[in-house]
Amino acid sequence: MLNVSPRVREYETLPGLNPLGIPAVAPLPTGESEDTNRLVERFGDAILAAGLHHGQQVVYVKPEQLVALAEFAKRDPALRYEALIDVSAVDRSELPISDSRFHTVYQLRSYARKQHLMVVCPLDDRGEPEAPSLASVYQGAIWPEREVWDLMGVHFADHPDHRRILMPESWPNHPLQKQVPVGGEEVPFTLTWSDPEFESFGKQILAAESKPPVLPPGMNIENMIINMGPHHPSTHGVLRLVVELDGETVVNVDADLGYLHSGFEKTGENKRYKDFVYYTDRMDYLSAMSNNMGYCLAVEKLLGVEIPERAQVLRVIMAELQRLASHLFWLSTHVLDVSGTGMALLMYATRERERILDLFEMACGARLTVGYMRIGGVSRDIPPAFLGHLEEFLKAMAIRIDEYEAMLTSGPLWQERLQGIGKLTRDEVINMGLTGPMLRGSGVDWDLRRDAPYGGYENYDFKVPVFTEGDSYARYLVRMEEMRQSLRIIRQAIDNLPDGPFRVEDRKITPPPRAELDISMEALIHHFKLMTEGFQVPPGMVYHGIESSKGELGFFIYSDGSAKPYRLHVRGPSFNNLYAISKMSKGAMLSDIVTNIGSIDIVLGEVDR
Amino acid sequence: MGLEEKLPEGIITTQLETLVNWSRENSTWPLLFGLACCAIEMIATGSARHDISRYGSELFRASPRQADLMIVSGRVSNKMAPVIKRLYDQMSEPKWVIAMGICASAGGPFNNYAIIQGVDKIIPVDVYVPGCPPRPESLLYALDMLRKKQAKDTFRTYANLNAPPPPVVPDDIESLEALRQPQLA
Ligand code: SF4
Repeated sequence: MLNVSPRVREYETLPGLNPLGIPAVAPLPTGESEDTNRLVERFGDAILAAGLHHGQQVVYVKPEQLVALAEFAKRDPALRYEALIDVSAVDRSELPISDSRFHTVYQLRSYARKQHLMVVCPLDDRGEPEAPSLASVYQGAIWPEREVWDLMGVHFADHPDHRRILMPESWPNHPLQKQVPVGGEEVPFTLTWSDPEFESFGKQILAAESKPPVLPPGMNIENMIINMGPHHPSTHGVLRLVVELDGETVVNVDADLGYLHSGFEKTGENKRYKDFVYYTDRMDYLSAMSNNMGYCLAVEKLLGVEIPERAQVLRVIMAELQRLASHLFWLSTHVLDVSGTGMALLMYATRERERILDLFEMACGARLTVGYMRIGGVSRDIPPAFLGHLEEFLKAMAIRIDEYEAMLTSGPLWQERLQGIGKLTRDEVINMGLTGPMLRGSGVDWDLRRDAPYGGYENYDFKVPVFTEGDSYARYLVRMEEMRQSLRIIRQAIDNLPDGPFRVEDRKITPPPRAELDISMEALIHHFKLMTEGFQVPPGMVYHGIESSKGELGFFIYSDGSAKPYRLHVRGPSFNNLYAISKMSKGAMLSDIVTNIGSIDIVLGEVDR
Repeated sequence: MGLEEKLPEGIITTQLETLVNWSRENSTWPLLFGLACCAIEMIATGSARHDISRYGSELFRASPRQADLMIVSGRVSNKMAPVIKRLYDQMSEPKWVIAMGICASAGGPFNNYAIIQGVDKIIPVDVYVPGCPPRPESLLYALDMLRKKQAKDTFRTYANLNAPPPPVVPDDIESLEALRQPQLA
């Protein structure tokens, strides 16, 4: 067996000794695991480094062998990495290291073996950055690679559809490259319409040149082409679909994204770790709590912090409540879109959702953008009355779910609009890298809460609903059952809610209690340091995925040892799931597109980020 | 009109104005159109608990031709801006705009390359609602403020807009001149 240790370097820095703004050395893996050894054995010198890093299997591979490695990882019976979960890239030009500027990072997942593998591919520095495309191995690479090209400027050789995906076609740069400024401007609040300066403000908007529309590849001008969105009642936000129709039958669908692109990743790289928590609320704004949780867990993994038991349980309660709220919102809009007569269900489901929002408000003061979870715990303990209200809600909610089901599940109209619509087979969903209910509706028994437990989920007893039909109806059933299971989890969490602190007592990470500030100088200093400088995070790179209501929400963080993430990438489940829309809709009726959008359950804030 | 001569001067027009304004105040139909997180609170305003129909605004119209009010509920990206401008132009007069949330008002937390720092750079705004997101109560309060504004409208305001504003093509966004002309007239 090959010995990989000579290729492995230790960190040269210690956390805390690293002054702000001075980046540290590249994170390289240490140790070894079965999978990395197997890859090293097979690829020999093409593997630059391999091993474990923060408990994750990481392999550095030369670009020439990337496709072969992916192919091997997918087909080899001992590895079986069936799915590509995410693609991202890091621009290392601001690190004091003279190796290649761009690294592309791939997250591979084996459902059969419950394994995760991170593949890093340092690109050649000569000329334009170019990486080989994995689209021929994993279909799920197509959109994420387009995103990397759009935002990072890495070209993918042999990519089947090499276009920008989020930014307008004529955008002058690739915003995530380090030399591109974060942008923005000072906002003068005193100007009025009659101020001459006002004129120049519109300048930041791209001049919209009138160009003949470019048809997406594969579309035929002979057929009718219509636009759905970005302003369309059933696209759930600002999604634009270019639909090619033959009569009423859909021939081709192309999604045009980016109408809500808000630059989360670039903003995150310019904020301190603790300040980005509030941005995550605004990504998938229907599951703010889950986003908080995913982000905090990722940073805590880098920090190596264990949060107290009570904080863990509180997080689980909130995350499950959020899953309920998100599914309720999905249900109400889905019914409204599909049946047209579903106004009643919209009213019922939002009624229950309001109760969840009330609970959130009790806990943290906000309804939607909660920011309740913080790195190192939660922002405050729940008030005494919270549990009573929660109990009441649990009782009511169990009955309500049955009521919704009575209205829908065996309704002929509902069945007719959903059954057999948007069918996806098991192989397709895995190959496309879909997650969440999309996966479970097509017969893949996978839930990160059970199969890669995080945040204390291993202590709960719940079922993962799986249906094999793969149509919209199956996904509907999955989500309904998930709501019941969420109730079960919350029930167990209440019963086992321990006493104790609600955040870690590490003054470097969490602020001291308010009362201490008046009497302790030390507390005051800690508070001041934390609020002005934040805290430094040891160099390294982590990917952490959680099961949010839409699917796998992953955070990839690349730390250089300073108080700000050097690179922050979000794997939004809606983005990857939406890729399926064209496969699901081809050959169906135009009206089925509406069903399919609802059934994927997208939130545009997360698709576009 | 014969009737006008018999009655004291101004009675007919002012009373008619009041009547028209009253009906506009009580049936301001918003454009069915959501951008980001704030849209969720807008939907919450429209549904069970907060019930926007008390204001006669429950009819969210999907077509800009039928809508009087544009609630810009969320952040406006560079790619979306021309679309919003076009939607606004497609709405028929009289029309109003509420900038809901700090993003639509001034860019909010997203002071970066992607987001426009306030929708008022592309369309005129009547009411700004602070908050991130504003609570449904705030949106209802904004509707109240809008009603006050609508109550003060006179026919003269509209009469002075003698010609319909020229259709604005996306190229004009940069100059804003085309947009402001009808405003100042
Ligand atoms: S104001 Fe806040 S809640 Fe509203 S769109 Fe902006 S970030 Fe979202």
